Amino acid sequence: MSIALRAGIRDPNSAGRRARRTHRTKTTVATGLAAVAAVYVLAPIYWLIVASSKSTGQLFSSSTFLPAGHLSWVENFRMLFSVDGGYFKYWIANSILYAVVTAALATAVSTLCGYALAKYRFRGRRLVLALVLGSLLVPSTALVVPLFLLEHDSGLINSYQGVILPLLVYPFGVYLMSLFVADAVPDTLVDAARVDGAGEFTAFWKVSRPLLMPGMVTLFLLSFIGTWNNYFLPLVLLGTSTRFPITVGLSAWASDLNQAGAGQPLYPEVILGSLVSVLPMLILFPFLQKYIARGLTFGAIVGE
Amino acid sequence: MSGPFLVLYGLFFLAPFVYSIVLSLRNPQTDAFAGLFNYRNVVGNGEFWSAIVRMAYFGVIQVTVMIALAIGLALLLDSPFIKGKKVFALAYFFPYAVPGVIAAVMWGFLLQPDLDNALKVPHALGLTSGAALNPLSYRFVIYAMMLIVTWEWAGYNMTILLTSLTSVPREVLESGRIDGASELALAWRIKLPMIRRTVAFITVISIIGTLQLFNEPVILNDIASIGSSYSPNQLIYNTAFSFGNEQLAAAQSIVLALITVLATASFYGIMRRRFDPLGLTRKGRR
Repeated sequence: MSIALRAGIRDPNSAGRRARRTHRTKTTVATGLAAVAAVYVLAPIYWLIVASSKSTGQLFSSSTFLPAGHLSWVENFRMLFSVDGGYFKYWIANSILYAVVTAALATAVSTLCGYALAKYRFRGRRLVLALVLGSLLVPSTALVVPLFLLEHDSGLINSYQGVILPLLVYPFGVYLMSLFVADAVPDTLVDAARVDGAGEFTAFWKVSRPLLMPGMVTLFLLSFIGTWNNYFLPLVLLGTSTRFPITVGLSAWASDLNQAGAGQPLYPEVILGSLVSVLPMLILFPFLQKYIARGLTFGAIVGE
Repeated sequence: MSGPFLVLYGLFFLAPFVYSIVLSLRNPQTDAFAGLFNYRNVVGNGEFWSAIVRMAYFGVIQVTVMIALAIGLALLLDSPFIKGKKVFALAYFFPYAVPGVIAAVMWGFLLQPDLDNALKVPHALGLTSGAALNPLSYRFVIYAMMLIVTWEWAGYNMTILLTSLTSVPREVLESGRIDGASELALAWRIKLPMIRRTVAFITVISIIGTLQLFNEPVILNDIASIGSSYSPNQLIYNTAFSFGNEQLAAAQSIVLALITVLATASFYGIMRRRFDPLGLTRKGRR
């Protein structure tokens, strides 16, 4: 009797409590796993912040993940902006210039083209789409090496335009925008504008563009980050230090680290310079993340 | 309206690409038409092919690990057992905003025994013999590079997958739960099959990215002298700009483009046979 009672009639709350307890255990395990992955992601960033406070001597003697006794941020900052002819301030200004101008123009160009691809059935439309998708497969060297020669012959080499113009060709942006237009702008709306006597461009500017603003913000951010992070193209096309973006400048400093006779190795400057180049994004990223993520995902999912 | 794009595309994409083909058919010394001279050189160039093989080895391991990690983390964050989901999603995605060059510098310093005292610990404890463990030595640097590239792109891929998971109908998951399916079973049997095309897409993008690796080997060569022909793109860059042989470099980059197309196409071929959306293969087997 007592056995039957114990086995058969359970306190209804105990099952719920057990379920809650398993849920809590699973939450602990799952969140723990996620935290391990977060350590992998954040450790180098944390290291960068700590290491940027150290002098060369401290970098080699103090413990890796802990600040040294004396924080050398002020000295390092002063050195960062004065060493090697004070080029670093140009590199920051250049990176901003390349990224802002490229992102603005690439967004405009890609939006127009994506709109045309989505809303007009002109001849060769499929060919254009194939070219856009196919261009993802072409290795950057197959373009950059001949681009160097072509820009050399036309005098574009080592100029701001020389770097910006090729970056305006943003096939992924066009592709993304054509998907976005097809999704956000109903054909009937454009037709209605035409019936009301609007020209093609007015129809685009007055009716479609406002609907496309979220997509354009996403495109701007993607192009901005892509340009800010770009290394190969400016490395090949630029020869003058005052025109470098941060990536090319810092890699020039990094390449002197192991070279005998290259002067004082610039460890603290490279480290602090790296931090300065990621700091704006580190701060802005929480606010921009959803726009960026949406764009990437849109391209991947609708692309199926 | 696509006028501006097409003009720019023609000038800064099509023209260089066509010029690349023209260049690859010219003699490096005389610049006269030389037929397949440069291509014969590419075929017989051991350095080029070892760079390709190195990247194939790199890609098979790194892309697999990274995609598995991205899938794992996306399913983890999509499960009901996570606290602080948004914070984790933000943290994982952040490396996307870090330039590849900066990521390589950062990790390169972090993995250098001189700068990283933690790396000396196993040696001090007598766990390694001889010199202290050096992840940037020629033998290990390929794994160090896998660690770096995975750091850069796992979160990016996770982000795409996580958003893609929101398209899985919640009713399906709910009815699964009522039938007593565990979360693990739901993830494996329902969620994963529903995002398989997105998985295929990010895998293809990753394969293309591997064959085009440039920033990381260049920076690691600056920090740890691993050679200037470690990856195909790095080798092509040096052929053109250190040795001034743009013709051979053009031929190498065309061959690399063909290999990229081949790798992508064969991956899609395998995927088609494995997942077989039309059920053709299964019928054939019977």
